[in-house]
Amino acid sequence: MEDMYVKPGNQERGWNDPPQFSYGLQMAHGPQRNLLNKRPPPAMTSGAGAPPAAPPSCNPLAPPPCAVAPPLLNPAGPPPGAVATPPPPHLGQMRTKREAAISQSESEPEVEGVMSVLNGALAACRRAVKAQVCNDVAKRLHLMEDSWRSGRLSLPVRRRMDTLSAELQKGRWDAADDIHRSLMVDHVTEVSQWMVGVKRLIAETRNLSPELLEPLQKVRGPVEEEPDSAEPVQDPVSES
Amino acid sequence: MQRSVMTTYQEFIQQNEDRDGVRFSWNLWPSSRLEATRLVVPVSCLFTPLKERPNLPPVQYEPVLCSRANCKAVLNPLCQVDFRAKIWACNFCFQRNPFPPSYAGISDVNQPAELMPQFSTIEYIVQRGPAAPLIFLYVVDTCLEEEDLQALKESLQMSLSLLPPNALVGLITFGRMVQVHELSCEGIAKSYVFRGTKDLTAKQIQEMLGLTKPAVAGQQGRPLAPQDAAATCKFLQPVHRVDMNLTDLLGELQRDPWPVPQGKRPLRSTGVALSVAVGLLEGTFPNTGARVMLFIGGPPTQGPGMVVGDELKTPIRSWHDIQKDNARHLKKATKYYEALANRSATNGHSIDIYACALDQTGLLEMKCLSNLTGGHIVMGDSFNTSLFKQTFQRVFSKDYNGDFRMAFGGVLEVKTSRELKVCGAIGPCVSLNSKSPCVSENELGIGGTSQWKVCGLNPSTTLGIYFEVVNQHNAPVPQGGRGAVQFVTQYQHSNTQRRIRVTTIARNWADAQSQIQHIESSFDQEAAAVLMARLGVFRAESEEGPDVLRWLDRQLIRLCQKFGQFNKDDPTSFRLSESLSLYPQFMFHLRRSPFLQVFNNSPDESSYYRHHFVRQDLTQSLIMIQPILYSYSFHGPPEPVLLDSSSILPDRILLMDTFFQLVIYHGETIAQWRKAGYQEMAEYENFKQLLQAPLDDAQEILQTRFPMPRYIDTEHGGSQARFLLSKVNPSQTHNNLYAWGQETGAPILTDDVSLQVFMDHLKKLAVSSSA
Repeated sequence: MEDMYVKPGNQERGWNDPPQFSYGLQMAHGPQRNLLNKRPPPAMTSGAGAPPAAPPSCNPLAPPPCAVAPPLLNPAGPPPGAVATPPPPHLGQMRTKREAAISQSESEPEVEGVMSVLNGALAACRRAVKAQVCNDVAKRLHLMEDSWRSGRLSLPVRRRMDTLSAELQKGRWDAADDIHRSLMVDHVTEVSQWMVGVKRLIAETRNLSPELLEPLQKVRGPVEEEPDSAEPVQDPVSES
Repeated sequence: MQRSVMTTYQEFIQQNEDRDGVRFSWNLWPSSRLEATRLVVPVSCLFTPLKERPNLPPVQYEPVLCSRANCKAVLNPLCQVDFRAKIWACNFCFQRNPFPPSYAGISDVNQPAELMPQFSTIEYIVQRGPAAPLIFLYVVDTCLEEEDLQALKESLQMSLSLLPPNALVGLITFGRMVQVHELSCEGIAKSYVFRGTKDLTAKQIQEMLGLTKPAVAGQQGRPLAPQDAAATCKFLQPVHRVDMNLTDLLGELQRDPWPVPQGKRPLRSTGVALSVAVGLLEGTFPNTGARVMLFIGGPPTQGPGMVVGDELKTPIRSWHDIQKDNARHLKKATKYYEALANRSATNGHSIDIYACALDQTGLLEMKCLSNLTGGHIVMGDSFNTSLFKQTFQRVFSKDYNGDFRMAFGGVLEVKTSRELKVCGAIGPCVSLNSKSPCVSENELGIGGTSQWKVCGLNPSTTLGIYFEVVNQHNAPVPQGGRGAVQFVTQYQHSNTQRRIRVTTIARNWADAQSQIQHIESSFDQEAAAVLMARLGVFRAESEEGPDVLRWLDRQLIRLCQKFGQFNKDDPTSFRLSESLSLYPQFMFHLRRSPFLQVFNNSPDESSYYRHHFVRQDLTQSLIMIQPILYSYSFHGPPEPVLLDSSSILPDRILLMDTFFQLVIYHGETIAQWRKAGYQEMAEYENFKQLLQAPLDDAQEILQTRFPMPRYIDTEHGGSQARFLLSKVNPSQTHNNLYAWGQETGAPILTDDVSLQVFMDHLKKLAVSSSA
């Protein structure tokens, strides 16, 4: 999944900077599976404390090939039950951001679909929310659209915005809000200027009465599976 | 099946920690003062007041209190209950109390939760409905490099998405001047400017910010009541109302515009900025959960609280300067910040310090701000690092209920049965000077009280609490055969509810003359090591380093004299039982640790390490004392190995966790194989797996640790291998190398004493008839 990754720390600015975990990965993390907190008993009460004899070392020229029974590295079974959290995703290794992005090359999200949902939501808000707030939100949606159209948004951001608008349209506010948070955590440089408008839009839309929300559900957004349905709602905001 | 006493005690200790968040040094208590003193390690415990308990739903009623005015203990499972007469006897003062009317329906088979043994820890919600929201006041240094300021601005913008929408947020920025920003949803941004050189009283600040009601003729302005403040304070506004403007405001923040001449430091008014922050909260939201978050990229260089002058040719104080009494600003600055910290603690506000710079920033002088208020200190090289960014994110992490792992305004009260008194506490707290009958005259840590204020807490915040047995020698074992301690923690939950968590524990009294072996096997050496270490670190704040080490050594020798088995003057005969077997080793590593040794650390670093040491839970504290070392090889599954140079072998990968650093070290052969690229070949898939295993385990730790540790991937001969080499016991050095074969372990170039030599001396001293 593109929102589950680890990228290296900033070695230029901090010595031994630790790797950076994505929002999704941090959230999915359950209780620690492998508690490394054991200490072997010391050998010191028994006299001089000679170091343990080293086990016979294998051929130092090459590691033992697989034919030699591969060692069981992680014999720890599944984590002790009871806790009903999903198992943490096993990352083959600390994957870099680039690798993760490549593994996810599906369809290119369309700016029009995303904007029509967001603008639809804003249109709905205009009937209940202070004009100044709506204008502030509109300003930031424009910023986003500009960035998108001028190619300044990376694919992961565009894809997550696509999903966010779909969740918004379906009325899944918590999911939409969570995606907004993940974007702020993982891609703050790209999105910080305008994301707060999307955040406010989610917050205001979730407070609207169901009647006001109706038009939003008819907007042709990225969720539309069938290419039919109502013609795109005229967007009253886009000219403002 | 017969099981050893030791196993039984280990299980008992674990259960108690899981259920009550308590680890006692002794789990049987010596029944007289004299015998208790002879045990060397005091009866004491590590207590984690808000230990995460997913299976402990809070009850929605008030606790029932003992009616005796100077007792007021909470009804608990240890109380004797007469269900027919509806009367309970307090297990602390033996007062007989009627149950309140709402308990009329209780019976043997219908007991309230607080009487059931499994609720030795119980949590009460005592106030429901809306309460004052949480408050976050950002205090931001703008004398930063462009890259750092940009990264910090983004982190602050990001944090607005992590805060609860109804939290109040405020912004103070500072450089040469201090600016308090008015927040509104309207377009125009106004701010109030303070000079960074002038010390202002709380009243002056509140007047200048317009926080006092207009003075009635002849009367002085009074601070606003909290409810007024919420409505009118234009400096603290709900996130959901001002997030758009605040995001822009943060985005537009510029570096401090005052020119910095060559050879000078920027003028940074940290002292006044903090004074304004503390004064602002004091005037608007006293006794409400609030967090001042201070972000600094360098030391305070002007005004009150200045740590170093602006001349770059005068370096910031070092340990050497301090020892030579050559640190000009140290005392004055420390005093200044202590006064601020105490004011903040009185109001229940905690102060975090996020210090990101390559040089020192004055944590030594400012540490009290966080240490006395339960705030965090985070130390990094730059705001544009993953270490800072992720650590900062984790401040806002949530628990299994989706609630923030932070609590505010905690008050911890300790009640004891008559034979026990409380000597003090060591942790991120201040005394509330409550002189109850259970306060001892002998102080250990912050003493003379039975109540402490802990302004900021999280689920791992842990206090060391020290007791004294006061029963007289030769007096009979106290009534009932066991003593009890009750911990009552009142706090503001992050969902703003007021809650009270009550933990009541009991331990059996034992006659130390006839039952010394039982007492010995009840020893929790891990808890004892951490509790003694906290005492040592507490002393190190006011005493000379060598004196602390001598004190620690004496305690260890006395403990070994008391519990070791030996023939007089025969060191080779010396033995320690299983329950004490690890203890000397912990002390050996503690002596070498940055908590007691300042060599190679700056005063800021020492302050930072000690700050974390005196607040973490047992497991993390013990990792700090004696780092964990795991070995990965083809010979079997990963295994813990001795923190010893003999564990550094060519065909091993080692993972060392020191709490502040994670080190992965590839032995010589492994490093060669890796260089040769065997891990890329299909037939050496197992080698690839071997390389991967420690990375996976390290990742597990990295994902949970607060603060983020530094992460070091190194190998035999690598310059960074020094992090491992400086921590292991130097059992093989250049001095004794001839004694060992060539293939066992790595010699350390040091003249430090090894554990073996340390133990030899310890044994000699313990068995000596003249000692």
